[in-house]
Amino acid sequence: MSDMLSISREEILDGRWERILNFFRSRSLWMLYYCTGCGAIELPPSMTSRFDLERFGIGPMATPRQSDILLITGYISLKTLKRVVRTYEQMPEPKWVVGFGSCPINGGIYWDSYATVNHLEKYIPVDVSIAGCMPRPQAVIDGLQKLMRLIQRGEAVGYKKYQLNNQWYKTNQREVLERTEPVLAPASSARAEKRARRAEAAGALVGEPAGGAS
Amino acid sequence: MSIAELADRVARENPGCRVSERYGNQLELKSPVRQWVTTLSQLKTAGFEHLSNLACVDWIDQDELELLANLWSHARRVHVTVKTRVPREAPAVPTVHALWPQAGVYEREIHEFFGVDFPGNPELEPMFLHNWKDLPPLRKDFDTREYSRRAYGFLEEEQE
Amino acid sequence: MSVLKSILAGFAAMAVGLFFMGVGRQISARLQRRVGPPLWQPYVDVIKCFARKSTSHHFIMDLGSMMGLAGLVAAATLLPVAGWLPFPSGGPLIVILYLMPIGYLGMAMGVSASGNPLAAIGIGRALTLMVGYEVPFAILLLSIVAAFNTSLLSVMAQVQSGGLGTWNAVRMPLGFIAALIAMQAMLAEKPFDAMIAPAEIASGPMVELGGKFLGMAFLQHAVSIYVVTGLVVNMFLGGAASVPVFFLKQLVLFSLTMGVNGIFARFRIEQATAFLWLSAGSLALVQLVLNLILY
Repeated sequence: MSDMLSISREEILDGRWERILNFFRSRSLWMLYYCTGCGAIELPPSMTSRFDLERFGIGPMATPRQSDILLITGYISLKTLKRVVRTYEQMPEPKWVVGFGSCPINGGIYWDSYATVNHLEKYIPVDVSIAGCMPRPQAVIDGLQKLMRLIQRGEAVGYKKYQLNNQWYKTNQREVLERTEPVLAPASSARAEKRARRAEAAGALVGEPAGGAS
Repeated sequence: MSIAELADRVARENPGCRVSERYGNQLELKSPVRQWVTTLSQLKTAGFEHLSNLACVDWIDQDELELLANLWSHARRVHVTVKTRVPREAPAVPTVHALWPQAGVYEREIHEFFGVDFPGNPELEPMFLHNWKDLPPLRKDFDTREYSRRAYGFLEEEQE
Repeated sequence: MSVLKSILAGFAAMAVGLFFMGVGRQISARLQRRVGPPLWQPYVDVIKCFARKSTSHHFIMDLGSMMGLAGLVAAATLLPVAGWLPFPSGGPLIVILYLMPIGYLGMAMGVSASGNPLAAIGIGRALTLMVGYEVPFAILLLSIVAAFNTSLLSVMAQVQSGGLGTWNAVRMPLGFIAALIAMQAMLAEKPFDAMIAPAEIASGPMVELGGKFLGMAFLQHAVSIYVVTGLVVNMFLGGAASVPVFFLKQLVLFSLTMGVNGIFARFRIEQATAFLWLSAGSLALVQLVLNLILY
């Protein structure tokens, strides 16, 4: 597995002409109305009358081609990850990813699930993460304002990271989405049964991993 | 017809099954696998026309998988749970797809998550899991935490 | 000289239209008891759109988007604003009503070249709606021609320059109401915005537009606001003596449109077309008959 390229931060920050455009980009962010997980329930309260998001210029847009921000709200199962990667690659640049909730950061409450990925950072670049399960509208607005400040300073360059380290991201994606080998060491069920029965007779816990050291 | 009379009638119509009453208006039927389809079709004609779901339980200590069907009779307002057991190795249960088309979806899920084969079911392709190569994940000897650690990585390891 | 004035008129149309869009978003926000974006938000949106990369699926998509904007800017150069005529023409209403659909047809051509079936559905709805609102508007044109023997907007504005009593809104009230209904459809605002319909067809014609194409679609919408409200002001509200008063009257009309937009839900396309023909069309017909009798 190749490592991430070591490129100095200064090389990929936005230049001076870009900073002028960034003034406009940060004040008119359009987010894709793609609610990937259970955390999307906190988007309607943030956008409607009480915690109005539109006053910052942030509005919902219907398709990836039109939007700047991809919100990953909540857990990402493998099926969702395939579609999220495709959606992310459809968006024109500059584009930013905001991870809502704890699940994109470290797996959240589904950290030990076989179906959800634990670190979204390995598959698409995440610019801002908002912790919480789910973050309240106040936290959502705080995170999006942080993103606006990062864009203004020219530091929100996740999409450039994706271009430069494309091989690394693709390797991670393929490792998860296109498996050919079983993850847990394969053991025929007959052997596993005998091992389980022997362990039970010896008084150990039942249900040890099929590939566990014995 | 009281619950006891209904239990007697069901026991008469399905020899080979053990019928017992549970709390309230619930009956339980334990049936051998070879009588699974005939029992369910008998119950369907006896008035239990609504199949609520098909579930599966992994009795790993007894080395068996148990299939449960929950049936409901609208007219009599009585609930019947029909249970059958198959061995954990190469489990196969005849399909009830012909009696209730929706049973095909439940059987598809049980096939994906427990590995039970349903000969006769036309659609047993995976529904939820993407490119799955390991044990059926809801079996009790599948270690989900270990899988998550190896497949997706935990933070403590990567911070070394 | 007229070339420069036409270019200026084009930019003025875009700038004024974008400002009206900002006011419209504030009105929508206040109706929903929100603070809403600042008034210059659409300018920032358009600059942001042009500052992004965009994907084009076919060279026809490029040409079609440009044709869409060009048709409407051409209509804007023919619109007389309080006696100021960018293009020396007198404001021919028939030519303007001819140039506006060229804009929409150009957009239709460009967007169908993008290959997305949702875009095709959106364009179908947009053109069906155009059939819906062009009929009452053409009948209104005939009724005004019957009344004043002219189809030049500047002459129409001059005829109504004698004060409030001479405005066509007062002398031909049925026609004015029909024009307001048709205007709601021409601006694609609720209840006639089935062609956009974000939740149903992923914003219809704009589904594959990103970056500069979306910017041009925005500018096309802004210029269409300017042209349509300008038409109704010249036809029914007596033009204006000075340019700021003209813009003020346009703003009043557009605020009325956005107010209705904030309250209503969306009609299905067949309901919208039927409503336009039956209500606006019948009012316009009655007005036409009245004008033929009275004048």
